[in-house]
Amino acid sequence: MRKSKQRSRFIALCIAPSLILFSTFMLLPTLNIFWMSLLKWGGLSANKKFVGLNNFKILLQDMKFIRALQNTLFLIVIVTIVTLALAILFAAILVREKIKGQNLFRVIFYIPNILSVVVISAIFSAVYDPDGGLINSILSLFQPATWKTIKFLGDQSIVVYSIAGAMIWQAIGYYMVMYMASMSSISIHLYEAADLEGASKIKQFFSITLPLIWTNIRTTLTFFIISTINLSFLFVKVMTSGGPDGASETVLSYLYKQAYDNASYGYGMAIGATIFIISFFLSAVVNKVTHRDVIEY
Amino acid sequence: MKKLVVLLLTGLLALSACTAKKNDTTDTTANTGNEETKVLKVAGLDGGYGKAGWEAVAAAFEEETGVKVELTLEKNIAETLRPVLTSGKNVPDVIYLSVGAEGKLTDTMIAEKQIVDITDVLSMTIPGEEATVGSKIIPGFTDALTSSPYQDGKLYLAPINYSPCGLFYNAGLFEEKGWTVPNTWDEMWALGEKAKAEGIALFTYPTTGYFDAFFSALLNETAGPEVYARLMNFDAVAWELPEVKEAFDIVGKLAAYTEENTVSNANKDGFTKNQQLILDNKALFVPNGTWLPGEMADAPRAEGFKWGFTALPAVKEGGDKYSTTFVEQVYIPAAAENQDLAKQFIAFIYSDKAVKLFYDTKAVIPTVNASALITDGDENKLYYSVYDGGAKANAVGFAAREAVEGVDLTSAEGILYGTVNSVVAGTKTVDDWYKEVIEAVKKYEK
Repeated sequence: MRKSKQRSRFIALCIAPSLILFSTFMLLPTLNIFWMSLLKWGGLSANKKFVGLNNFKILLQDMKFIRALQNTLFLIVIVTIVTLALAILFAAILVREKIKGQNLFRVIFYIPNILSVVVISAIFSAVYDPDGGLINSILSLFQPATWKTIKFLGDQSIVVYSIAGAMIWQAIGYYMVMYMASMSSISIHLYEAADLEGASKIKQFFSITLPLIWTNIRTTLTFFIISTINLSFLFVKVMTSGGPDGASETVLSYLYKQAYDNASYGYGMAIGATIFIISFFLSAVVNKVTHRDVIEY
Repeated sequence: MKKLVVLLLTGLLALSACTAKKNDTTDTTANTGNEETKVLKVAGLDGGYGKAGWEAVAAAFEEETGVKVELTLEKNIAETLRPVLTSGKNVPDVIYLSVGAEGKLTDTMIAEKQIVDITDVLSMTIPGEEATVGSKIIPGFTDALTSSPYQDGKLYLAPINYSPCGLFYNAGLFEEKGWTVPNTWDEMWALGEKAKAEGIALFTYPTTGYFDAFFSALLNETAGPEVYARLMNFDAVAWELPEVKEAFDIVGKLAAYTEENTVSNANKDGFTKNQQLILDNKALFVPNGTWLPGEMADAPRAEGFKWGFTALPAVKEGGDKYSTTFVEQVYIPAAAENQDLAKQFIAFIYSDKAVKLFYDTKAVIPTVNASALITDGDENKLYYSVYDGGAKANAVGFAAREAVEGVDLTSAEGILYGTVNSVVAGTKTVDDWYKEVIEAVKKYEK
């Protein structure tokens, strides 16, 4: 009896530091955001006025926020689908096939991850340049002289795709390495057996590789949601500042503008709280939808 | 025994956390020898004029008063100051950051009424001189909305570093082609057609943020200073006047003459590419401030390139031409500890000594005798003589209002200026833009 009491006291003491740190640096600030979202406050003074859910009421009618939310959701979907498909494809090729310069490819694919987002944004601004940029220069070789270059960052209907392009380029290497790690842990015997039975490479991929890295894919889906929300802010801030005229605004860049540029800190926190809930909800849905029984062998 | 060790360790951990906290708070007075010297903390933007002027003036102030000046100038000062101001600890005594500067920190300070009333500085004697501050500042500067944002006759932000904004062009190209700088907007359109025939666009802009100075001058031209004052006070009736709409229409017409890649590059990353269009003879005019030639100093340029600068063309023959005067500000935050000393420092900025030191970095303090420093051979002469050439000066900036959530009227990407990108791209008409602006103004007007 005395032993078990002593034991639980010891356990409590052990987890206390992390519990305290977690509450002070994670729990408290999060709760604080929810509290601040109920205030009318500029962020710098002590004049805080409690306005209840008024900020959320304004938010629901704020077309600029809705547009930013649409852009963000679009980016989450498009970046996830394209990056996931390409990363798995490249990972499968690099792990399963014997090609020359395998290690070089690994390094090259991973390089974008070492670069800072600001550098990548600058690179893509140059690539997208309407006058002498990489893409437009190549395209103009095959076009008549009167051809108008594509305004990747100036055309409001294209700009979100341009941002997505930069984000996909940046993300592929990272996820590829993750998938490669779990693919190389799949026992080689399974493939040998499949070979003997006459299964094609594609059949092997869908029947062996994909089911066995499924848990890994599920985890990365959550990563995709979180990182797209976060990174899109950085890309947008450097490449377009949300422009032209709000066409590439994302929820976080809109939050930033409202909280700081528009002296509406409380409103900004209401946006933050909404994003918090949305990303939680999205992750939960994705987790639920992709749930499969774990395959063991 | 084990328990004792664990307890001891956790105790140590807690203790180290506490002591680290204690070391953080520094005293506002520094000990030099036995005597305590007063310390004045000045924080500000390391902007277009650089640090040298401030460093020299701080040293001169130290010499004059025996006070130690702790100077912090950073490029991202709005970001580093925000947490400091939020915490309310170690707040600088004087802040140099303009209204409308990136990060909108000063604008938030005004909206939150966190700036000290410094009206009494005007009657203070400048340290080391006989004259009062009020007698030195050029009349009109202290009444501007950027200095007296609540329009209550009190001074909150001291005006410094004034410079004209207008249209920059390649004077060499105009000479070569035999073109004259347009006096009216009609002449402007005619020139636009001539240039178009040569494959040159009439207009470009760095980002929509530069429209604040441009559009203010334009509104003064079409509607006059009285209406303009009402516009800046969010008077919706004034915004609906036809002469105000005229300014929108001029921008709409200008949009058709705007260089085609301008919108693509109208962001923080690409704005220099738009400015480069002038140097490459691909566009004729760009709205900008006096810092432009310095900013583009190392850029390649067309043969025979020579900077030219003009006020906006008049609406009709004989009408007024305007050039916006861009003014920077210094102020004392409400949480500052040494407010009296800070006021002395602000007064010192207007001393002949400081004005000269600032001018060595090309910054012009708006004092009555500062323009005497701009001699004939000086490159600044080109800009500051714009008012001698008959152009009128106008201020820029809206009156302070409580923030309206979700409505951003005045920032670079806001409704008033940011929508210009859509007008130029053709996704919105001038009427859409005008309607959006009026709707937004009505939300501020209560």
